[in-house]
Amino acid sequence: MSVAEAEAAELSLEDQSGLWRDAFERLRRNPGAIAGALIIVAFAAVAVFAPALAPHGPNQQVGRLAAVPPGPSAEFPLGLDQQGRDVLSRIIFGARLSLLVGVVSAGVGLTIGMVLGSVAGYFGRWVDTAVMRTMDLMLAVPQFLLALAIVTALGPGLVQIMVAVGIANVPQFARLLRGSILAQREADYVLAARSLGAPGRRLLLAHILPNSIAPVIVQGTLAMATAIIDVAGLSFLGLGPADPRLTEWGKMVAENAGRLESAPHLVLFPGFAIVISVLGLNLIGDGLREALDPKLKS
Amino acid sequence: MALLRVEDLAVRFETRKATIHAVNGISFELEQGETLGIVGESGCGKSVSSLALLGILPKNGRVTSGSVRFGGRELLELSDAQMREVRGRDIAMIFQDPMTSLNPVLPIRVQITEALRKHLRMNDDQAREEAVRLLQRVGIPAARERVDDYPHQFSGGMRQRVMIAMAISCRPKVLIADEPTTALDVTIQAQILEVLRQLVAEERMALVLITHDLGVVAGLCERTHVMYAGRFIETGTTSDLFARPRHPYTLGLLKSVPRLDAARKERLEPIQGVPRDLRSLGEGCAFAPRCLYATDRSWEETPPLRDVAPGHRVACWNPVPDADLPDRGAPEGEAG
Repeated sequence: MSVAEAEAAELSLEDQSGLWRDAFERLRRNPGAIAGALIIVAFAAVAVFAPALAPHGPNQQVGRLAAVPPGPSAEFPLGLDQQGRDVLSRIIFGARLSLLVGVVSAGVGLTIGMVLGSVAGYFGRWVDTAVMRTMDLMLAVPQFLLALAIVTALGPGLVQIMVAVGIANVPQFARLLRGSILAQREADYVLAARSLGAPGRRLLLAHILPNSIAPVIVQGTLAMATAIIDVAGLSFLGLGPADPRLTEWGKMVAENAGRLESAPHLVLFPGFAIVISVLGLNLIGDGLREALDPKLKS
Repeated sequence: MALLRVEDLAVRFETRKATIHAVNGISFELEQGETLGIVGESGCGKSVSSLALLGILPKNGRVTSGSVRFGGRELLELSDAQMREVRGRDIAMIFQDPMTSLNPVLPIRVQITEALRKHLRMNDDQAREEAVRLLQRVGIPAARERVDDYPHQFSGGMRQRVMIAMAISCRPKVLIADEPTTALDVTIQAQILEVLRQLVAEERMALVLITHDLGVVAGLCERTHVMYAGRFIETGTTSDLFARPRHPYTLGLLKSVPRLDAARKERLEPIQGVPRDLRSLGEGCAFAPRCLYATDRSWEETPPLRDVAPGHRVACWNPVPDADLPDRGAPEGEAG
């Protein structure tokens, strides 16, 4: 590379650098985050391309009915269930539902939580008190119990589960964003923007929120992980999607919990799938936390 | 008529434990193109006064009395929306710390054009062109390439130039600079002051320079007001004030500035004691506990500003006599 080329390359690198670019650079140097990202990409790819990847349909009977279904074999790497369905294929299709559940539940919690948190943090006074005491009330109940209560009220079903887990996530997002906004609200650059005549709406949306959002993004990835666990748990308790054709990891574990001794593969493999996807999300979340931590910024 | 006329402005902060009397009735006038220095130590109410002018005090602070007239309008009576029209367009402010006063997640272009888009209704292309012009104006090289850069890609001095560009974007009639050079290296300080000096001269902006640095005032300001415990205690032309300080506090400030031409062994004379606790201001001169010239009357009655010479006013019952004045001129400034 000539000197001129090297300079040009350096310049274009500089052009792209910004706060998020810096964070991405730090993320890339973190092996845990890389591993997490790989897991999540694989997880998403499996979910998206399930029909192409799975050797069989999720509800396709490929073996015979058996009280004690056969374990892993060359033909069926993860074995068959008692209705003769391929466990690998079911897990692959189950990824779709888990991904959907994670994204939608975390999304619901994040959206509502962010609106409530920014309103409380920015307006303060009685708005803050009203919103945050309600959040405290919700936090007083363990998150899973809260989701359980909501889904009981709404009735079983996939949408209800996702909404319930999402709502149970609201308080932590609201709290996090409120604290972050309180810290940023008094920042010098906000005062500077005010001194130029920027109205309150613009202060909040253009100046304060973008600077407060980092911890919420971190929490978002972690919330996806807990959402997957919560939904699996609710399914395990029989509050999952009513449609028997829908494959869900938690439901697979639940249906076969009694066969842990006779046919462990029915419980362990879906369990592993849950653990690995949750692990991936947590690794990414931790990596993001480090990358976006303002204390580490130079 | 004066461009800006502040009369008897008082600001208080309510905290859970006490009321802080931050500003206790200050008055001043500003003509177009005039430069006024406000000098005082930390916590004397300099910055709070300027925030009060713009109506951007923190939530627990409020203006308890006084009047701020700008171009025939009473600013303290304007609604929030009306006041937003004044900010940035008529009166703008430069803040102390360029490291924290720029939003780290927005390119500087967005921040410089904030006021342009709001007040002058410029579209994005016009605003970008104007931002480039403003950056050139404040002396940022390769302005066109750098306008989309983020604050962290600039040095401290460059950031302060960006802050100045932001503040002057709508050509305000009054520019308030709150310690614009305090956070910067000495060499950069001189550059920033030069930028300000040129702007004031070319745009006929009135400048209120708030600082604790007497050298900065000496170089830039025609008139100087010395502030202590939320009051002006001495006002006058800068040269008068430096040559013949009448308030013991002003004298003390001048004596505590190191000088290049001083004898090696000459020691700086600090002002004894600590700044006044602004929670418990009673009657009497606020400076009395630290003052060598205090009389019985100083403890009992607050001295008003009185003329001691044409255009030179001092709030003291026992002003410094000629005999006590040090035999020297203005401290080392920017060739004022």
